Amino acid sequence: MSLKMNTQYLAEKNMWYVEVVGEIDIYTANRLKETLINLLNEQNTDIRINCEELDYIDSTGLGVLIGALKRLKQDNKNIIIANPKPNISKLLNITGLNKIFIIEG
Amino acid sequence: MGDSLSISIPSKPEYVSVVRLTTSAIASRMGFNVEEIEDIKVAVAEACTNAIIHSNCKQDDNFNIHFGMDEKKIVIQVQDQGNGFYCEAVEEPDLTSPKEGGLGIFIIKSLMDEVVLESDIGKGTTIKMTKYLGDDI
Repeated sequence: MSLKMNTQYLAEKNMWYVEVVGEIDIYTANRLKETLINLLNEQNTDIRINCEELDYIDSTGLGVLIGALKRLKQDNKNIIIANPKPNISKLLNITGLNKIFIIEG
Repeated sequence: MGDSLSISIPSKPEYVSVVRLTTSAIASRMGFNVEEIEDIKVAVAEACTNAIIHSNCKQDDNFNIHFGMDEKKIVIQVQDQGNGFYCEAVEEPDLTSPKEGGLGIFIIKSLMDEVVLESDIGKGTTIKMTKYLGDDI
């Protein structure tokens, strides 16, 4: 398994839309990190991550999201995690990260 | 006496997915339910990730994963020969200032029934975790 990402900027909402498909783990987390850093260098604004087709995320992947959120919080921006699968919701709940990210769906 | 199975994998990120598949297959064969299989898989993967990141193993070193099984439980040991770390220094996540690292051990402890961390500075680390079949204890 691998990780596929699609990114798109919606000007009317001033928001990045990122779709993640597959698995985010120690092997793929660096690619997610590079992608998010590139987006934020271009436009430091809210990111909506669609997790509908994300099967797996581990602590390194969550660490990348925390790193990006820290940077966004300096400008009062957020990360929205949309449509996580039950296994991913469970991980967000036990780590308490459901309280620092905005979870939708 | 139960069965046991060991694998030795390179200390490289691309092999953690192999361990996830192996772990899922073993837990499934033992009769764990879907959520328990996921818990065991995540915990073992976090232990492997921990071994790769924190052990400072040279990439050509391997580390070992041992699965012990009987009719009541699965016991998994992830053992590296890295630098080791101070177990007492493992903190619970602080949500008022979340950090990029440090979630792995916390996740393992949340998902498994018993977790024992043994780390000898300079000698390596073993994470031993147990999950019981059937009702939660």
